[in-house]
Amino acid sequence: MIAPRQQPPFYRLRPLQPDVVVAVSDTGDHCFLCTSEAETLVQRPQHLSIDRLAELKSKFFFGPLGWPGMSRLYASRIAAKKETVLNGPSLHILVTTLRCTHSCRYCQVSRALDDDGYTMSLADLDAACDTIFQSPSKVLTVEFQGGDPMLRFDLVQRAIERITEKNKTERRQLRFVVASSLHNLTEEHCAFFKQHQVYLSTSLDGPAVLHNRNRPIPTRDAYTRTLDGIALARRCLGSDAVSALMTTTHDSLAYPEAIIDEYVAQGFHEVFLRPLSLYGFAHRNEQVLGYSNAEFHAFYERAFERVLYWNRQGVPFREVSAAIALNKVLSPFDSGFVNLQSPTGAGLGALIYNYDGFVYPSDESRMLAEMGDLSLRLGEIGTPLTLLLNSPLQRKLISASLCHYVPGCRECAYNPFCGPDPIEAYGRFGSTEAPVSLTGHCQRQQWLFDFLFSRLHANDPWFVDLAYRWAIPEALRRGANA
Amino acid sequence: MRSLTISTVRITQRTVMRVTQLENLANEWAPSLHFLVPVASRPKFDEIARMTSGGLSNITVALPTEIKTMRSRMGAIPMIRLDKPEELQPGDVVAVNPAHHSLQVLLRESDTHHALFLTNRCNNNCMMCSQPPTRQDDSWLLEEALSAIRHVRHAPARLGLTGGEPLLYGEDLRKVFDAVAEYLPGTQIELLTNGRQLSDPAVSASLLNGLRTPISWFVPLYGHADFLHDFVVQMHGAFDETLSGLLCLQAYRQPIQLRVVLIEPVLKVLPQLCAFIGRNFPFVRELALMGCEPVGFALANRTQCEVNLTHWASTLEHSVHLLDQHAIPVLLMNIPHCALPKALWSRATQSISDWKQTYAHECATCAQKKHCCGLFSWHKKSWGSAPIASIKEEIAS
Repeated sequence: MIAPRQQPPFYRLRPLQPDVVVAVSDTGDHCFLCTSEAETLVQRPQHLSIDRLAELKSKFFFGPLGWPGMSRLYASRIAAKKETVLNGPSLHILVTTLRCTHSCRYCQVSRALDDDGYTMSLADLDAACDTIFQSPSKVLTVEFQGGDPMLRFDLVQRAIERITEKNKTERRQLRFVVASSLHNLTEEHCAFFKQHQVYLSTSLDGPAVLHNRNRPIPTRDAYTRTLDGIALARRCLGSDAVSALMTTTHDSLAYPEAIIDEYVAQGFHEVFLRPLSLYGFAHRNEQVLGYSNAEFHAFYERAFERVLYWNRQGVPFREVSAAIALNKVLSPFDSGFVNLQSPTGAGLGALIYNYDGFVYPSDESRMLAEMGDLSLRLGEIGTPLTLLLNSPLQRKLISASLCHYVPGCRECAYNPFCGPDPIEAYGRFGSTEAPVSLTGHCQRQQWLFDFLFSRLHANDPWFVDLAYRWAIPEALRRGANA
Repeated sequence: MRSLTISTVRITQRTVMRVTQLENLANEWAPSLHFLVPVASRPKFDEIARMTSGGLSNITVALPTEIKTMRSRMGAIPMIRLDKPEELQPGDVVAVNPAHHSLQVLLRESDTHHALFLTNRCNNNCMMCSQPPTRQDDSWLLEEALSAIRHVRHAPARLGLTGGEPLLYGEDLRKVFDAVAEYLPGTQIELLTNGRQLSDPAVSASLLNGLRTPISWFVPLYGHADFLHDFVVQMHGAFDETLSGLLCLQAYRQPIQLRVVLIEPVLKVLPQLCAFIGRNFPFVRELALMGCEPVGFALANRTQCEVNLTHWASTLEHSVHLLDQHAIPVLLMNIPHCALPKALWSRATQSISDWKQTYAHECATCAQKKHCCGLFSWHKKSWGSAPIASIKEEIAS
């Protein structure tokens, strides 16, 4: 399925700048070549200098060359990159309710408080908790999403207790995350979270003016109430108990520095500069909310510079999409981000158990269902995991995301770091096999890899050190030996 | 290894013994062990003679040479005679070799480094080898090592196993691992090996399946491509088998210290080698960069092996920096501080075995002496890592 190539070439090239080519081997080792050297590599590799030859050999540019030890090393390097999708789904998202106090313009799915029928049944909740343990993964992250799952705390509590009880015999490494505005967080909630080592994830779009514009509530104080929730959670659960996510709207584009400064001021260690995904209500509001790739990239570059600025001031602060990409490039281990995998992490790495009683392979697919397209359901909650992962849909997602075969991916130098997003392809073009290069996912990732490789090529020692620290965070540094 | 000149009486073959004071003999005595008891007075001699005549055949007496004769009225006692019996320490495990009139101290409790030499044969032929390999069957060394392990009084924290290439014994080496588990509980083995034999699944399974002895594997790697490593170890195909061996050790979750000896062909590629290790062997416990011992083949290959490390300071700093980026812990061994850039002093360890270690007269006034590994005792006869210099700066390691 993901067997590496058995015959040359074992690398791909990409022009980066005038007379700079980045060359990447199947193991994800890279080097920078000038154009003439790249030509020599392709046409007469035996004419490369002896030093370059040794370097490229050691980076598997010529494959394992028939040696058993090199073959084993080559296979283990590629296997390490595929751990996220080969060890069983480790991220399990429970969408317990769509109810929410916010009426965000970019929100895909949430429903008002008085809407009935947007909450998971107890029978489905229990069945979902049991299905999670059918994954062979030793590490299980269970994340509650919504709506705002804290509006039905009883369901969160029930699920966490059931999973914890079951884990007494299963003995997996468990991690719970609750994604919430934190507006309704109480000390009692925190006491329960502390007991079960639950992490909280909230939304923070930037400074008050931007946050309140993006995330309106009737009282117009979403920002203040979220900060209050963060403060309460930190007081009860510790300073690292809360992380935050931001969504970039058209309005956000004017505030790259202010958004970063807000995250630093609120004591966060990282920001995830996420572009808007054009699903659900966001799709309908595309004219108002949307923006071009070029606009987002300009925003990203300014925000990225601001992240570097804070690091130069001695404040350790990461941008998560860059950290994920740098992990792919600079570390032999995969950090496990499910949206950048081949085959796709949708289903193989993550599963969404939705309030509607069905299991979906990704967040986007459950949002398409909200818009009336039910074709991206893997099956009903309670269906055995093996059946879900052998469903015709899952097979289609896998075959559409094998980057050694998919046109557009198979020639791309960033192939070993990346993977197509067949669900976005389906959402935009009605087919999981739509041309990869037309998807926003592909365009964004190519741009990001180009951007980061250009930075690495500039070879500023301070930046390279920072890149390695982001790429190989402490948890991966020694954890890999366990 | 410490070696003493002795004469022997009634000892017919090379024998491993534990040195024991007469007053402790009753406590330590066991039928399967052999004891060497230093004696300097007639009454003590007679006491041993009584034991021997009572049937204890596993006691040998060590007498000072200046005592001309001492005969038992009760029969023959095996004995050795040496100039300074006080050079023996209680607990020493020694090999008495009547044919060569010599005694080797195999293990000494007060040492910080303990090692057993298992063979002089090797399947590599490294250009800087401090112990040039020979071809003769010397498997008696394996039996002697097993005996030495049984004779240890107090299990040391760590026990080195060296050669030559110990893995040439194949599955027989497992006997040593198991003997350590049985007789030296709590001792961690440090095995110096090129790991090549582990590329044979039958060998690795017999050595590693169900292993209960903690072992640290010290494996050398001298290049990031086959032709570089194979040149240094003078053996075609060695690189690939060592890679297999390392992956096999990882599969068995064994802790690995990679070792890189800093000779010229290695220093020329050191940054690339370190990056290769960072990307391909991130599971190793650490990497040791080691000064070359100026003995053995290193003397014969002096043009490649003699380096002044102060000329390579930026290469060393750059390489250590790359290892830091890849989160590979790094140690510097057998390199005195005066051969290193200041930034690397904190990585240098006091690594030279007690019996090989010395200092030069410049060291007496050096502020770094207490943190420094010092010099190999034979440094005066050949060359060192750099000209010896006394350091004035007091920078804590």
